[in-house]
Amino acid sequence: MSETTEDGAARRLAADARNRVRFEEEALELSDQVYRVARRLVSSREEAEDLVQETYARAFRSWRSFTPGTNLRAWLLRILTNLNIDRGRRKQRTPDEQPLEEGDYFLYNRLESSTRDGNADEERVVERLSQDDIVTALSSVPHDFRDVVVLVDIGDFTYQDAAQILDIPIGTVMSRLHRGRRILKRELADRAIGET
Amino acid sequence: MAGYEIDPCEKCEEWMQPYLDRALDDNERVEAEKHLAGCSHCARRYRFEESLRQFVRKACSEQMSPELKQKLAALRTPL
Repeated sequence: MSETTEDGAARRLAADARNRVRFEEEALELSDQVYRVARRLVSSREEAEDLVQETYARAFRSWRSFTPGTNLRAWLLRILTNLNIDRGRRKQRTPDEQPLEEGDYFLYNRLESSTRDGNADEERVVERLSQDDIVTALSSVPHDFRDVVVLVDIGDFTYQDAAQILDIPIGTVMSRLHRGRRILKRELADRAIGET
Repeated sequence: MAGYEIDPCEKCEEWMQPYLDRALDDNERVEAEKHLAGCSHCARRYRFEESLRQFVRKACSEQMSPELKQKLAALRTPL
């Protein structure tokens, strides 16, 4: 009798170890994607690397609280954004209301009017922006807006995932995304064309 | 804002983000596409937005270092 109980316990232990190994492998396979998002949430490479390491250390410790079959990438990002907030990054809260008159065609209009060739196609207009312009412009978008833009436009998360990761209502995700993209375009215009 | 009619291009501009996010409802999407089919001004700006999004994604994708990858693997629970 006691032998079968021991057998059962051993089997459970082995199954547990197998699940853990599988979890760790799946999490590691996502590390490139996790890093890519982390890198744009914080301002330096070092910060991003620390944050990703801390995230994986915590994920491996608390792997049991992950529900298999749900979105592991979103689960990891949720840990990461919480750690990032815990680090006191957000001393200054950014108000959702910022004066912003420009519409969504603003950047194109500005680029087009400063292009000598009035008939330049859209691809060519985009090429007037450099990678540096984009990276710096994104980093100057206030945190609350940038987080959403990074998750949706760079991390490819759905509105729903972004809402869960940041623990905010989906309506807030949509309005911040909308404004965040507009702020990004304004920053891009300033960089690509210069302030006028 | 004069009169009762909203400028269709203005409305199309408002719809650009939700359209590209596939977040418009069917009626709005059909209306937006009808407008885009006949308005090169808006169509060009929609295409620009799409290229811009792709470019942003590409420009902001930084690879992680192999060292970090090793460090992460080392965090695994020893067997």
